[in-house]
Amino acid sequence: MLRFTIRRLLQVIPTLFAVALLIFVIFSVVPGSFASSLMADGRTAADPEMMARLNEQFGLDKPLYVRFADYITGLARFDLGTSFRTREPVLDVINARIWASLELAIAAMVFAIVVGVPLGFIAALRPGSLLDSVTMIGAVSGLSLPQFWLGLLLMYFFALVLGWLPSFGYGGGSWRYLILPAITLGVTPLALLARTTRAGVLEIANEDFIRTARSKGMSEARVVRWHLVRNVMVLVVTTIGLQFGSMMGQAVVIEKLFSWPGIGSLLVDSVSIRDTPVVQGTILVIVVWFLLINTFVDIIYAAIDPRIKQT
Amino acid sequence: MMLKTLTLAAALLAGTAGAALAQDPQPGGTLNFVAPYGSSFGTLDIHTSPSTQDEFPAKAIHRSLYQWNSEEGKPEPELATEVTASDDRLTYTYKLRENAVFHDGTPFTADDVIYSYERIAEPANAYPGARYFADVAGIDEFNSGSAEHISGLRKIDDHTLEITYTVAPTDPGYALMQTNSAIYPSGAGEDPGFIQNPIGLGPFKFVENVPGSRVVVEKFDDFYEDGKPYLDRINVVLLGDASARDVAFRNQEIDVSVLGPTQYVAYQADPELSQNLLEVAEVYTRHVGFDNTKPPFDNKDVRQAFGHAINNELILDKLVKNKAYPATGWLPISSPAYDEAAEPTTYDPELAKQMLADAGYPDGIDVAITATQNESWGLTIVEAIIPMLRDAGIRATAVPVEASVLAEIVPAGDFEAFMWSNLSGPDDYEVMKCYYSKTPRSSCAYQQFSDPEFDALFEQAGAEMDPEKKTDLLRQANNVVQEGAPSWFFNYNKAVMAYQPWVHGLQANATELAIQNYEDLWIDETAPDSRR
Amino acid sequence: MKRFNLNLWLGGALVALVVVGAVFAPLLTSLDPVFDANLMYAEEPPDAQFWFGTDEQGRDVYTRVLYGARISLTVGIVSQIINSVIGLSLGISAAYWGGWWDDLVNGLTNTMLAIPSLIFALAIMAILGPGLPSLLIALGLTNWSWTCRIARSSTLSLKGLGYVQAARTLGYGDIRIMATQLLPNMIGPILVISTLGIGAAVLAEAALSFLGLGIRPPFPSWGSMLTGARELIVIAPWAAVFPGLAIFVTVLGFNLLGDGLRDLLDPHMRSRTA
Repeated sequence: MLRFTIRRLLQVIPTLFAVALLIFVIFSVVPGSFASSLMADGRTAADPEMMARLNEQFGLDKPLYVRFADYITGLARFDLGTSFRTREPVLDVINARIWASLELAIAAMVFAIVVGVPLGFIAALRPGSLLDSVTMIGAVSGLSLPQFWLGLLLMYFFALVLGWLPSFGYGGGSWRYLILPAITLGVTPLALLARTTRAGVLEIANEDFIRTARSKGMSEARVVRWHLVRNVMVLVVTTIGLQFGSMMGQAVVIEKLFSWPGIGSLLVDSVSIRDTPVVQGTILVIVVWFLLINTFVDIIYAAIDPRIKQT
Repeated sequence: MMLKTLTLAAALLAGTAGAALAQDPQPGGTLNFVAPYGSSFGTLDIHTSPSTQDEFPAKAIHRSLYQWNSEEGKPEPELATEVTASDDRLTYTYKLRENAVFHDGTPFTADDVIYSYERIAEPANAYPGARYFADVAGIDEFNSGSAEHISGLRKIDDHTLEITYTVAPTDPGYALMQTNSAIYPSGAGEDPGFIQNPIGLGPFKFVENVPGSRVVVEKFDDFYEDGKPYLDRINVVLLGDASARDVAFRNQEIDVSVLGPTQYVAYQADPELSQNLLEVAEVYTRHVGFDNTKPPFDNKDVRQAFGHAINNELILDKLVKNKAYPATGWLPISSPAYDEAAEPTTYDPELAKQMLADAGYPDGIDVAITATQNESWGLTIVEAIIPMLRDAGIRATAVPVEASVLAEIVPAGDFEAFMWSNLSGPDDYEVMKCYYSKTPRSSCAYQQFSDPEFDALFEQAGAEMDPEKKTDLLRQANNVVQEGAPSWFFNYNKAVMAYQPWVHGLQANATELAIQNYEDLWIDETAPDSRR
Repeated sequence: MKRFNLNLWLGGALVALVVVGAVFAPLLTSLDPVFDANLMYAEEPPDAQFWFGTDEQGRDVYTRVLYGARISLTVGIVSQIINSVIGLSLGISAAYWGGWWDDLVNGLTNTMLAIPSLIFALAIMAILGPGLPSLLIALGLTNWSWTCRIARSSTLSLKGLGYVQAARTLGYGDIRIMATQLLPNMIGPILVISTLGIGAAVLAEAALSFLGLGIRPPFPSWGSMLTGARELIVIAPWAAVFPGLAIFVTVLGFNLLGDGLRDLLDPHMRSRTA
């Protein structure tokens, strides 16, 4: 088990290197620069001298390969560089924002699990029934809504019309601010979980080993408890893992809409002002998050089902 | 000439914040002030940032040598009690405030000013404010490293400072009122803790920064103005999305909001919201600039025809919702050199067609207009003028770009036409430089306008010592710009701020309405409990 | 027992509705979505003349929603074609040839899977600048990893089979074998993935528009209409409601259709790609 874990973790490294290379290349050919973004609001007239000084200070006047070498050697020392905008280490900039993102991701996931899994079970109880159809079409509908539109609707309804919740911001960390963005972000995993749970229950219920268990004379209740639940949970945990891993990326739009101070909004802001070190650092963090969660899911999977290890 | 600006400002004050004057300011309370310009706060080290967004917290914490006086429409000394200029206007002597102290209790002296200015000017720092000191004596030696200090910044005693220029500025206040020329305590910038917990001379002390969310500041009891600030606390909250801001304002979560054209209409139509709108003519000119060096726009008639093809009145009314003033030339309404007699370009598509034909383009012209996604000076407007231009034989297409890209390709001259909103004040002489033929394109002469008559007037204005005559020359120069049509001048921004009924003391700041002197703000007893 | 495939029929009907709107747009409206802008009629509520009302520029929302279907379908379909071509050619060739090429494709697929597609599309849009062609490229380059994985695994299981071996002994070239013997066997799952992908692409267009990097005016894409109309929600809600509904109906249609196709073609796929 330990060897498997180590092997899976080592496999992450080349992917990470490839991602680092890819985003470096992309953001070295992006038009516009941090210096030009400073005058984008038309308030500051162009100042070629300052732009040249800035580019020199940030090393943007060096050739591409030198910059890449600096970047990679920095990464090896866990140094993501210095933000152009704040002139602070990128790690500090990200550290100040990532906790809000985690908070949002966890809240959204909890919401999705608490609502989605039971919904899937209920739907699977009577496949083909009206309840089943309504639940499943509801789930597909959840996957079909533009996120920011949903967020805006919730904002209007719960903040403005009903006045129950604040409409935006972080509010110093109060849970009331968390609810609307978490629900908006949770809708997609909720719908997926409901579908996975339903499909898992239906499929496994028909599988041979359940029939075998039944024919061996196990009571219906035990069949359900020991086989069905356990095997459905494997599927559900996988879905949760995958969704949780990709949540940081999905939260971008929602963080932006609700002015949530996470790394998603940090990323979008940094792209628009071409703060390249922060952009690269943020994407790397999002990717590391994704890869670690996936690896973790694989390991759990392998622990439950030893056959996985061979593949 | 000051009169005009005065009346305008006074009229705006009377119309909007007038009711506030009836009451005496009350101390206490919390204000939720919104920072509406998109992205998060970049940094609390305001010297490093030209961004308006970063000014919102900085304006509470810091003070600059000068401050903009919204009522009189000019900069005035803030940290100095007395300023004397030499006859040649090259040397300014400042008597500094003796009652000003930093938030940690350190008294304010001339050393702090010199330290701050040298930090801003330091070439290795590459700070945006370095240009404010480009004409200070000894700057070249300082930049090249041969002098450790700028010789033109001289401390006479702890509270007397002398600044010597090599070229006389119109008024040093235009540069030295900027928030990013704020005065730091001597040596503070080198202390890494200072950037996280800044201290300044401003009316409010820094309390907390939640990156990407808000900055909290608290009343500074030893602020140099007696009885101010009134408020106990300000939460400067980030809220870039206009529709979310609308909800938050209606939900009374924020005390002020900056309105776009769409919301301006909605708020005007609302019997309650319309009571609390503050409007001001800002110093921004929106325009479609042409590349004056290349055909077809090297021809003045073609440039003028472009303007005749557009029904500006209709766009301003229906699309901009009258949240703007129709433009004549470059200088905005609030400028003393604005010519009230000037008329906007007439809408006459037939004339436009005729002018194009006479200029040698009987089949019309094609033009690509580079613009960003902005409802007031971007693609929304370009979308609206495309059908109008087409009727006059101008086949326009939109080239959408991001703001940072626009700011890169326009100074590089990589466009046929571009749409932008550019600062056109308050320093008239400085902003007219953008049409002087000797100004490089990479500075601000994006259109590369070249007109000998303008050049002559501009040079005269530069040499003119008498302010009245100087203004008069600039007015004539501005008229030459209007006639020469280097751009299609679209409008001057009318900034509109909505505020909750309990908020008082807002100033009609023409340089940037959303940037307020927080020490003058106060809230009355009708504010909700969350603000008490 | 053959159950009525609700997903297939409902999804198919919704998609058909959108396709009809897109194809026959000029017949269903007499107005032009871009040039028939009359600011005198800005923000008119829905009535007999303007069925869905008008937007802030005085353009007919109904007309723009119809023409918007063309753009959304183009975005969805073209980006999925690009995705499928990339995914299939990489996936099949990797499994067929194996070796370093397989390793390389695997590495690339893992890399692409690790970067969230919205973020990757955002980066590509930043390079290419906003606009329809950039959007097609950005969305076409970001979502091929799953197709590639499916193509690779089906090729692995197929290439040892008798008829592929037989084709080889007949002297068929590698490319021909891949195109004629392997490809047809994976059309089903790829069709399902692509159908679902069309819906995802329509949503991605809306998200990118919201972030300021979508298709730009004056062309009526639903995402940019929705983004532009958000601020009108108080005074002209119809300008935001109808494009939002159009996105919802379209994406729902393709999602249901994809599910329906999956039930039809391969009932066992359900749990794996749910």
